[in-house]
Amino acid sequence: MTSHTCSVKSLHEQLRDTLGSGKLTHPWCRQKVSEIFDLVHDVSQGQAGPDHLDSILELAGQLTDRGPAADCRESGEFVTAFVEENREAFQSHISTHTCPSGHCPMLTPAPCQMACPAGIDVPSYVTLVGQGKYAEAVSVIRRDNPFPWVCGLVCTHPCEFMCVRGRMDSPIAIMDLKGFAAEKSMSARQYANPEPLPDNCRKVCIVGAGPGGLTAAYYLALRGYRVTVLEALPVAGGMMMVGIPRYRLPREVIDREVAMIESLGVELRLNTRFGKDVTLEALRAEGYEAFLLAIGTHGTYKLRIPGEEDLEGVLPAVPFLRRVSLGDHRMPGGRVAVVGGGNVAIDAARTSLRLGCEQVHILYRRTHAEMPAHHEEVVEAEEEGVQFSFLTIPKEIRGENGRVTGIVCVRAELSEPDSSGRRRPVPVEGSEHVIPADAVIPAIGQEVQSKGLEAFEQVDWTRRSTIRVDTVTMQTHQEGVFAVGDAVTGPATVVEAISGGKKAASAIHRYFEGIAQPALPAVPVRRRRLESFEVPGALKSDLKRPEMSLLGRERRRITFQQVRLGLTDQQAHDESRRCLRCDICIRCGKCVEICRDKMGIGALQLGYLDFDEPGPTDMRITAERCIACGACATNCPTGAMQITDEDGYRVLSLCGTVLNRLQLEYCEICGEVLGPARYHDYIMKRVRDISPEMGSRRVCLDCARSKSGGRHAEITPPRE
Amino acid sequence: MTFRQGQKVKIYRRSEDESWEDYMEEFIGLHGIITDPDTSKNDPEALIEVSLDEKGTHRLPQDCLRVIGQ
Repeated sequence: MTSHTCSVKSLHEQLRDTLGSGKLTHPWCRQKVSEIFDLVHDVSQGQAGPDHLDSILELAGQLTDRGPAADCRESGEFVTAFVEENREAFQSHISTHTCPSGHCPMLTPAPCQMACPAGIDVPSYVTLVGQGKYAEAVSVIRRDNPFPWVCGLVCTHPCEFMCVRGRMDSPIAIMDLKGFAAEKSMSARQYANPEPLPDNCRKVCIVGAGPGGLTAAYYLALRGYRVTVLEALPVAGGMMMVGIPRYRLPREVIDREVAMIESLGVELRLNTRFGKDVTLEALRAEGYEAFLLAIGTHGTYKLRIPGEEDLEGVLPAVPFLRRVSLGDHRMPGGRVAVVGGGNVAIDAARTSLRLGCEQVHILYRRTHAEMPAHHEEVVEAEEEGVQFSFLTIPKEIRGENGRVTGIVCVRAELSEPDSSGRRRPVPVEGSEHVIPADAVIPAIGQEVQSKGLEAFEQVDWTRRSTIRVDTVTMQTHQEGVFAVGDAVTGPATVVEAISGGKKAASAIHRYFEGIAQPALPAVPVRRRRLESFEVPGALKSDLKRPEMSLLGRERRRITFQQVRLGLTDQQAHDESRRCLRCDICIRCGKCVEICRDKMGIGALQLGYLDFDEPGPTDMRITAERCIACGACATNCPTGAMQITDEDGYRVLSLCGTVLNRLQLEYCEICGEVLGPARYHDYIMKRVRDISPEMGSRRVCLDCARSKSGGRHAEITPPRE
Repeated sequence: MTFRQGQKVKIYRRSEDESWEDYMEEFIGLHGIITDPDTSKNDPEALIEVSLDEKGTHRLPQDCLRVIGQ
């Protein structure tokens, strides 16, 4: 991800060319360069150990110092200089088994892992779920994200948008599998923290106990730092706790995962607002040397219409959701009008229903198609009885005796797209109407509440009123001060805040240790290399993405019980088997090309290999056409395509998916394996003219040759 | 242009927005999918989340993006 070339791959190719060119004439030199080549090959294959780098340099040194010829010494000098210059890349390949550029096929992360802002090794944990190893799955996830359960319920799952299976039918239910593993693991009391490093006596203060702040706290605590998290609210979790309603994310889930972080020794100071209850000077006096600002976006945009400021019953969505989350379950009013079309508007509307409001209206200025809220949220709101008024622009909030009685709106029409392609709502003259309401909930956007942060004088702000950082390190313009989460990105996602927290923890550690900060974003690290499941191709094609059971509609309207009820064991295991294991197959398409273009067979119809224009995929067709020649497997750069002979059959499989299984035949003369009949026929058709003697007999080429040779011996060549 | 979740996009040029950073130059020409558009108010100024093919997920300004298919 960080560069267009890979230095390991580059050296690998240069050494291969040197050996192949015949330039090195001295046998000793050839032997040494060959040994270096093997070691570099190990590095590019993820098979290198911690001593590989030293061994490469040692061999290169031998070439330089003891080389009997000039080209030998030059090769040694070249390797030494190259490895020293690219030492970091070599070490990264060895320690993380990941190739940042994607040029080492065996070390390329899967698209789902690359897409995850936190860089979770998705294929590994999906496979572990299928194996029933839930605690192991959780520990793989927590290498990159300390909130598997939370993210298993509310992640925006960019991984699923990039899931290669989605090009075939539907993406793997990655998020649901994460939630399943976390719940199972927690329930079995096997959800555990890794062992932290010993206390290093250095103190870090984090302002804000949301996902970004707590993630940084977790990874810093694991590195031995003393971490204190200040939180203005009486609960930890930030927007996870007070922004996401309980029916999507039960409080217990957050509490349990926060408790795991706390158990590493992280101190949580609740009801403590930075700048009011505690000052920067006081914290510095306590010994805090680095600060992380993770204050979220708890402010709200105003509608800026008459009646908004002075009437009782106008409740901005963020404080309204916070109030409900903290236990105030009073109904805002019998009839509620929510203004906005985003996720927060939907959350406010569905929450109002659950509080007992009789009529809940969402007023949105554009059409259903332009609503920025996630589609499934809109559908569930509709199912629960939320009413939508599209193309409706609020103009004034009306009231009597100081209380809201309704909202005056005008109808709108969408204009023709402007130069940027956006269609703007244009009010329709004379369309003014009143929608009766006892409460109005504006939900048109959030902003950072920066009050109290003036103490950080050098922290810079963007024109969006967010904290300006270097997004690789999350460093602000003030030394020792970092920032993450919505305060940096504007209202974003839980997993992005988690990603920021992880990056900040690493950058804070480098800051303390005086290590240079990275200039480019980190690349996800592959955590495990697991065998894939053996699944028949037909079953692999037939398995469908599971449909999760939902709480009954009637109950959803009246309680805050979790709506999505989770996967069953069978659903989770089947879904794990549906995964195409893109951590093994890099979708280079060589198998398809060779089968079609070189062998002229076309038995592999794997349209999903193309990102931009995926074609049809049919895993059954292989069994109908494939001759089991093995050309695809031989040319597969990662070993994803395998051909094996077992129990009298030749089996072709792609990442465990059995594409073809043909009975083997044996030579009638010597008993050698001939391959399946189809393969034998394919070969015989091509050698028929050369060796016509065998007819329909099943004999191997050696026996055929010796038979033909016998006949040739009887032929007397014509005399000259 | 209003971007929708799931749309395929191309980063067709460098952005003029202040949030554009040097390392993003490498993204020009890449294809990806909108994974988290502005989910609150359809703001053309908002940074939106894009998953790039093989290059990770990033929050980018909208002026560098062009829809290439549905």
